[in-house]
Amino acid sequence: MALTRAIDLGLMKCRVCGQVAPQDKTAMEVRCGRCHRVVTTRMPASAEKTLAWLITGIILYFPANILPVMHTSTVTGQDDSTIIGGIIEFLRGGAWDIAALIFVASVAVPVTKFIALGLLLWCVRRRSAWARHERARLYKAVEFIGYWSMLDVVVVAITCSLLQLKSLASAEPRLGIVFFCGVVVSTMMAALSFDPRLIWDGPAGAA
Amino acid sequence: MRDEPVTQINVCRECDTAYADVELGRDEVARCRACRAVVARHPHADVDKALAIAIACAILFLIANLTPVLGIEVAGTRTEANIWTAVVSMDNGWITLSAGVLVVTMLLAPLVQVVLVIWLLSFARAERRAPGFAHILALLHVLRPWSMTEVFLLGALVAIVKLSSFLPISTGPGVWALGALTILLAVLGRFEPSAWWELEHRGKA
Repeated sequence: MALTRAIDLGLMKCRVCGQVAPQDKTAMEVRCGRCHRVVTTRMPASAEKTLAWLITGIILYFPANILPVMHTSTVTGQDDSTIIGGIIEFLRGGAWDIAALIFVASVAVPVTKFIALGLLLWCVRRRSAWARHERARLYKAVEFIGYWSMLDVVVVAITCSLLQLKSLASAEPRLGIVFFCGVVVSTMMAALSFDPRLIWDGPAGAA
Repeated sequence: MRDEPVTQINVCRECDTAYADVELGRDEVARCRACRAVVARHPHADVDKALAIAIACAILFLIANLTPVLGIEVAGTRTEANIWTAVVSMDNGWITLSAGVLVVTMLLAPLVQVVLVIWLLSFARAERRAPGFAHILALLHVLRPWSMTEVFLLGALVAIVKLSSFLPISTGPGVWALGALTILLAVLGRFEPSAWWELEHRGKA
């Protein structure tokens, strides 16, 4: 059965409260009667904003991994650790499960988000009908996993607030963590800027 | 300009497919045929239940922030960690930017969410429309993705494993409060947002 889309019926749905309103091509802007926010058929410049945030995230990802995120000094010596270095340390200590958890949150999730958002944008640009269901699910997944990347920032912050044992052990954050925070915020902004309805725009597919 | 709402048609938020509005029974969910996203739920707002959960969240939030989540005691020196100490530990030059992100995601977003929900529902319970109703619901919509209490809980657990190999680390009451808060915030999230817009009608009645 062919499905009808709101855009073809002259309707649009408010992103904030979900109320359906008629389109008005003559008006400068239409405000939702329920929540008073501006309603548009598609989020304005959605693909462009997503791309801008995505590029920002990718750029920040390099210093986030190259620069140390934490400096620790203990009785055995001083140490500047990077994100990857921290994961290797857990592996050496035999805590492979924690190593895997941090690897997923700090490396796999951001990289997956870069690739997934890049793929979504590329397909939208080509108005592709390929694998729309799968792409819609991919977007949901990107939205869902996004904020778990903050894990490493939290671990560094907690470690730094606990390790204030004077000469015995102390830790302080380093600049890398700011860039990593930037990666998380940028990729979240990229996902929030993306309008999933764009996936379904364009010629109808076989499905 | 403002337009009258279209009441007989509902639209999928994720893929823009339009449907004739249907009456849903309690606990019934209408899913999109194209993308399987939830298009509509039964518009039932269980105000008393949601308010009880929101107040419980507020109490747990206070406990989680006023008691230590983790602590270390070595040779008479004791250090403690909770959300606020984690934020303060990042207050240093450019690194303060990270402290800012932590303040928003771990403290402000969950706190403001809970307070606003209590505000809305207290008025709804008295059969009145809360002042700022539409703005508050719109703000809740914006805040939602930035509330990350559960990430802090997992971060605390990772920190335990990380430090327990060479330091005597102990958990405080805060970690249990955080755990319970994470669960209740998730439950509270299930009441939002579609059902709450319907409170407006109740308020006018």
